[in-house]
Amino acid sequence: MIREGSIHLPFAYAAGPAASRFLVSLRDEGRILGSPCPACRRVLCPARSFCPRCGDETGEPISVGPAGTVVSFTAQAGGVVFGLVRLDGADTAMLHRLLGDGMRWTIGARVRPRLAARRQASITDIEGFEPLQEPGDGT
Amino acid sequence: MRQVAVIGSGQTRHARCRDDVSQAELVREAAAAALADAGLRPADVDAVLLSNMELFEGRAFPELWVGEGAFACGKPCMKIATGGTSGTSTCIAAFHQVASGMFDTVLVVGFEKHSEGHTQTGMALTDPFWDRAVASGALGNFALSISEYMAERGVTERQAALVAVKARRNAAQNPHAHLQMPELTVDEVLASRMLAHPVRLLDMCPQSDGACAIVVASGDRARRLCPRPAWVRATATRHEQPTLGDIDRRLCSMRTLRDAAHAVYAAAGITEPLAELDVAEIYEPVTYAELAWYEALGFCRDGEAGRLIEDGVTTMDGTLPVNPSGGVLSSNPVGASGVIRVAEAALQIHGRGGSRQVEGARLALATGYGVYAWADAIVLGAES
Amino acid sequence: MSERIVALHTMDLTWRYASGEAMERFCAALCERRIEALQCDGCGRRYLPPRPMCGNCRLRLSRWVPVADEGTLVAWTVVHVPILDGRTGELRPAPYGMGLIRLDGADTTLNHFLAEANPARLALGLRVRAVWRPDLRGAMDDILHFEVLP
Ligand SMILES: [Zn+2]
Ligand SMILES: [Zn+2]
Repeated sequence: MIREGSIHLPFAYAAGPAASRFLVSLRDEGRILGSPCPACRRVLCPARSFCPRCGDETGEPISVGPAGTVVSFTAQAGGVVFGLVRLDGADTAMLHRLLGDGMRWTIGARVRPRLAARRQASITDIEGFEPLQEPGDGT
Repeated sequence: MRQVAVIGSGQTRHARCRDDVSQAELVREAAAAALADAGLRPADVDAVLLSNMELFEGRAFPELWVGEGAFACGKPCMKIATGGTSGTSTCIAAFHQVASGMFDTVLVVGFEKHSEGHTQTGMALTDPFWDRAVASGALGNFALSISEYMAERGVTERQAALVAVKARRNAAQNPHAHLQMPELTVDEVLASRMLAHPVRLLDMCPQSDGACAIVVASGDRARRLCPRPAWVRATATRHEQPTLGDIDRRLCSMRTLRDAAHAVYAAAGITEPLAELDVAEIYEPVTYAELAWYEALGFCRDGEAGRLIEDGVTTMDGTLPVNPSGGVLSSNPVGASGVIRVAEAALQIHGRGGSRQVEGARLALATGYGVYAWADAIVLGAES
Repeated sequence: MSERIVALHTMDLTWRYASGEAMERFCAALCERRIEALQCDGCGRRYLPPRPMCGNCRLRLSRWVPVADEGTLVAWTVVHVPILDGRTGELRPAPYGMGLIRLDGADTTLNHFLAEANPARLALGLRVRAVWRPDLRGAMDDILHFEVLP
């Protein structure tokens, strides 16, 4: 016998200082912050309090991007494309939506964030990343 | 088997709501404090174990916080979840890893962020065919057993209130403790809001955000790093049948805790626990449970727990101080609570309990309790 | 720290639970207002909920025995705190009575709601009887609650 059941549980997740700063900066200034690790010198994006690899506390967050490079991507059956994007100045890639035709994406494609008009300190204040037309780019 | 000791610990400030930090940052606060306490760098740790309960954190893979917050990147790690005993079970697993020779130094971290979700509801998501429709979480479960316990053993609401007062007064000497009520009186406990007959608000543990970590090391390392290691003398863990109605007179019989206690006493050569133990850190989510545990742990005969608390036997200046930390009744970040019991028992052996130190403590008991289904007992001792 | 960001999300998930053979038979009996337990041939315990194994004897269970919808109250409480019901996402109204009931013919107890929520009228040892919903669906909440017998 199979019985259907459902679970409804509300949660309220605290972002903590580093992620709060990342989200507030995104909302108020449209800037994307990364955190430099004093030990391995990587810039971690999104910003965080400490480097998971070294265990060290990160330094004062810095602006990264807004342009970046697609590291990998997957086009879902419904046409939604997810990609890992490494923003210029960052050493880690962040997961987000790639906007536009899934068949046209390539690894190494240059992208820029499309920001939501009304932002509310959420990662979805970035609607996704869209192709960047760089100077001299004929396409 | 090799010798194993607890050589350091770290705790966060436990509070109703720690929305100043994320889950990972909370874990890190305790993990970093424990390493600093033991005088170790992250690179000195061979493996990391995490204690945390299901359905409380509201996200996939809370064990990722080990890698993120507890310095486990590139190291072996695992998570253990056994209800309220998660913390003590995880400590026991770390003891086994070191005793076996597999690792020399293991970091254990437990955490909980009650404020972010609905713990009682999570706990009430029991068997969907049997009791989910009527489950009432820890509070309802406890209250049911307490009616049987009171009837059989004759404990009174006033005796339970004495436990509440003892816990909160002890907690006032513990800077980490969530509840700080140094002036609490029996009358205030008895006048507090009824939650579920006969359990009143101040009979019950709080729901806390917090984390705790300990560092476990093998004999040679422990002697080198720690002036007074807390040696693991014995451990036992017991499981029970699964549903609420399986165990007769649960709080009275408490087969799991009774068996686990007898097993560790036998292994550690303890015959008179009340006289031989110097301090106990027991997992008492509700005042009445502490009384029941006195009996299950052999601190007194069945039916004598009420007299024990009335005579002050378990207060800080009694024969056997129980929960100098203020216990679960003063801080309950569930996934961390068992680790806290072990950390606090070890602190007593280290002789670094500050204003909650039991003078000259050399033999300590720590216990874990999880929804009647699990119990753990651990005996820690000073160098013999 | 300046502004603290807290993200609100509701976990909203659906599940398909498989009952197993013993629970399937138990639920089918509920549809006919019958309660059945499984008895262990080793220790003789009559188990509710019925299950494939006796955890104590580690024996497989296959002997079905009838259980009454009347029994004895072996523990009780009145809960005053409304708990969020994770099945619906709504608060369960309080106060409500709860009991552990040993149904005649079973050795384990069943926790369920009591129709009585006045502590002065509840006591260990009271006789109680199941109040069934009219439209039976083969689930534990086919029993609405237990009423105290005079
Ligand atoms: Zn680093
Ligand atoms: Zn049996």
